[in-house]
Amino acid sequence: MSGMFLFELLCEEIPANALPGARRQLAENVAAKLQEAGLGAAQTKVFSTARRLVLWLEGLPPATPERVEEVLGPPVAAAFAPDGSFTRAAEGFARACGVTPEELVVVEGPKGKVVAARKRVPGKPTPEVLARILAEVVSNLHFPKTMRWGDGAHVFVRPVHALVALWGEGSLTQVVPMELFGVASGSRTWGHRVVHPGPVELLGTAGLATYLERLRQAGVVVDPEERRKLLGEAAAALAAEVGCQVRSDPQLAEEHVELVEFPGVVRGAIEERWLALPPEVVVTTLRHHQKCLVLEREGQLAPYFFAVCDRPDDPEGHVRRGNEWVAGARLADAHFFYHKDLETPLEELARKLERITFHAKLGSFAAKAERVAKLAAALAGKLGDEALVAQVTEAALLAKADLASSMVGEFPELQGVMGGVYAKAWGKPEEVWRAIAFQYQPAGQEGPIPPTLAGAIVGVADRMDTLAALFSLGEVPTGSKDPFALRRHALSVVRICGEFPLPLALPELATWASAPFGGQVQNLAEFLRERERFFLEWRGLPSPVVEAVLSASWGVPAEDEARGRALAALWQEPAYLQLATAFKRVRNMVSKEGEGRFAPQLAQEPAERALVERVVAVEGELAALVAGRRWPEAFRLLGELAAPLDRFFTEVLVLCEDAELRQARLGILAKVQRMFLQLADLAKLQGVN
Amino acid sequence: MDLQSVILNLLRFWGERGCLVQQPYDMEVGAGTMHPETFLRVLGPEPYRVVYVQPSRRPADARFGENPFRLGKHLQLQVILKPSPRDVQALYLQSLQALGIDPAVHDVRFEEDNWESPTLGAWGVGWQVLLDGMEITQFTYFQQAGGLDLKPISAEITYGLERIAMFLQRKTSIYEVDWGGGFSYWHVRHRDEVELSRYAFEVADVELLRRHFEDWEREGARCLELEDPLVVPALEAALKMSHLFNLLEAQGAISTTERVGLIARVRKLAVRTAKAYLAQRERAGFPLLATSQNSPQGKEARA
Repeated sequence: MSGMFLFELLCEEIPANALPGARRQLAENVAAKLQEAGLGAAQTKVFSTARRLVLWLEGLPPATPERVEEVLGPPVAAAFAPDGSFTRAAEGFARACGVTPEELVVVEGPKGKVVAARKRVPGKPTPEVLARILAEVVSNLHFPKTMRWGDGAHVFVRPVHALVALWGEGSLTQVVPMELFGVASGSRTWGHRVVHPGPVELLGTAGLATYLERLRQAGVVVDPEERRKLLGEAAAALAAEVGCQVRSDPQLAEEHVELVEFPGVVRGAIEERWLALPPEVVVTTLRHHQKCLVLEREGQLAPYFFAVCDRPDDPEGHVRRGNEWVAGARLADAHFFYHKDLETPLEELARKLERITFHAKLGSFAAKAERVAKLAAALAGKLGDEALVAQVTEAALLAKADLASSMVGEFPELQGVMGGVYAKAWGKPEEVWRAIAFQYQPAGQEGPIPPTLAGAIVGVADRMDTLAALFSLGEVPTGSKDPFALRRHALSVVRICGEFPLPLALPELATWASAPFGGQVQNLAEFLRERERFFLEWRGLPSPVVEAVLSASWGVPAEDEARGRALAALWQEPAYLQLATAFKRVRNMVSKEGEGRFAPQLAQEPAERALVERVVAVEGELAALVAGRRWPEAFRLLGELAAPLDRFFTEVLVLCEDAELRQARLGILAKVQRMFLQLADLAKLQGVN
Repeated sequence: MDLQSVILNLLRFWGERGCLVQQPYDMEVGAGTMHPETFLRVLGPEPYRVVYVQPSRRPADARFGENPFRLGKHLQLQVILKPSPRDVQALYLQSLQALGIDPAVHDVRFEEDNWESPTLGAWGVGWQVLLDGMEITQFTYFQQAGGLDLKPISAEITYGLERIAMFLQRKTSIYEVDWGGGFSYWHVRHRDEVELSRYAFEVADVELLRRHFEDWEREGARCLELEDPLVVPALEAALKMSHLFNLLEAQGAISTTERVGLIARVRKLAVRTAKAYLAQRERAGFPLLATSQNSPQGKEARA
């Protein structure tokens, strides 16, 4: 089992965002095919750089195991003559399968008993099988965008230049012949484009470590994990030299890993004068154009940045000087935009929104701002005083003004941030500029919610308006289609309400937001409920608990979450599962037979009387606990009904002959149901376990 | 290296590698791609290699000569290699040496940047090339033009000449760039940037622009409806529409909804022109297929 196999595909630069998916597919799809071929024991490693996809296998046998394949033949009735001898059909089938008729067996086919041949399929040389698997997997890799090149005959993510496919036992001794995208396999790859542009011979490579080392000598670090480590270490060391830290940007750091073959970091200096720009502008300018990280000292921007380059060194300082020059030029450009924008009062920018379309059928952003301001004012009126109403109104009217600014035209990712910066610069109250600055937070699951009440209200109002507006046009997300990111907007609403928390009910929000669009907008409330379910599960509640809680009542995420947490603490206790079973019977009975009429005086049998007594005793206390939102106690109190309910169902016949008595018994159950449904529909806990 | 040396060196470099050295198109265009030497030549099976400078108009980017990095008219140096050769990236790196840039001591990265021109019904896949962090080139494998799938595929290399000159000269404003012969970019171009900006943003007559948009749409269609369709005049009409559209947009005279419609009208003419060109070449028996062996395009010059 000492067989090893190397596959390397060398091509032109693959987009960074396509690489993690390509590695995953390569690993999963090859593993599945190896399993099918009886080679499942092999160890698989997948690597990539911007220019190559690499697969390493070891622990392979020289050939795949022999298999026995069952081929189904004619039905038994057609295979045997009445005297038990084989028919011509059976003989023909056996011949076709390369066995004698005596070797046929009778098996159960999809349509009854048939004869079958057990064919021995001999193993195949492993390299041959690997060539087939790789050709199939690689040509079926899915990329976000593919292309053709040259004569246009082949389609892949980028033009393919070389294939290495090598096999051997103990070391890679033989080329495995294969062809992909018009390129035949060989034993050579090529090094880094500028550090080592020549060929690298891989025949004779003694193992994975040798391969990685040979490539490294050719200026290529094949393993993304290794590149991540090198980048992190280089950045930390360069930052420490100037007593700074790297300002965290995990998404960009991940992209850096994929962008290069050999990761290098250069530290560039920023002229101090540019640090007078808002820090977000500096960070975004350097990130947007150059994918640079910036440095911080004690939480403040420091006058340095890191550029990641695709080479280990900077022999003549060109890389640093070049990046510094570009950074300076970009920052000067941003400075130009920033000061140009500051020449225009925010209100005047906001007036330009009349010319920016929010949606062809729904008018401009100016119209949207008016609607959002009204909705935000209504919410503020419910949650606070007149000052709050004034703050959210002003913030909402100015919130989108930055869409008309040059800075946001240049850096769309700064929308909101610039609005806040400009509002502050124009002397708006802190509550107002902060509400503008944080209006796009959170982006669905990403990032924190706005830190201020005014910000939370404006954020909710803006998104509810977007949701109601697009739902009113029938733009409801379906399946993977959600071009306006409405799921994300709705989740943001739920998160703000739940995490801030805001005591607002989602169905009511839906109604209010719908008002400018001709009354209740279809499907919106249900959509919000679905997002609330997602939110509660995302917060770690088990899905049966979430369903149980929301089925009782939904729409106030913070309270629904508290209820869910109380239930989650209990629901897997045996006594509670018993209670859930009993409650399911209650629900079934009441929904089938009706709510009856509560008449405690009619209770006859001991079990019946015991339940009525418990119910009456618990009722008042439960109401007080519910009113006080004391959910853990309330759920525990419900638990006290488990035993009496069980006894009731064991000993009492609900659907008895006596109609009046039947109504009374149903009446008790209906009362129990109402009590439970103030907390949760425990029946939903069932069926999952 | 001054701007005119950048131009001369690149023209010579590509000329020596089998590219026909062409001239800028004598009309307002938004990019070198709109030059018939690119837009038409990439269609059909005939091989072609060409290099030219194309002054490119982006009225909405004009900044009255005040912004150090932005121009309403900038210079592109455009290379078309059809079919895209296997060593196209290596050739490109060699071209940098013609500019005195030795890739061995710089950081050269090819970062994904795909290109699309809705008005031309064209798109491609490729990169922007970053030299020490500076975007200096757009590199595209054309996949479609005029709504037609391309085969063979052309590689388009577009050098941003002002950017490259600024970078080589370490200037912080375009206007400080040394053009050649002791002249700066300011001397040569500042006044027309100011005037073109004023015209685009303040003076242009929106009614006239709209009227001419319609006129050229009709004129282009008329050229194609002839029994022997006039391809180049039809393309020129589409180019005029495209430029008029850009001027209208700079004026802020186009709403988002209208925008889509106007783009579709330009594209319609461009697509019809592309089809007419292909038919014309086919009738002629794709003459460059036969001559490609002997023409300058056929030589695979390698360093």
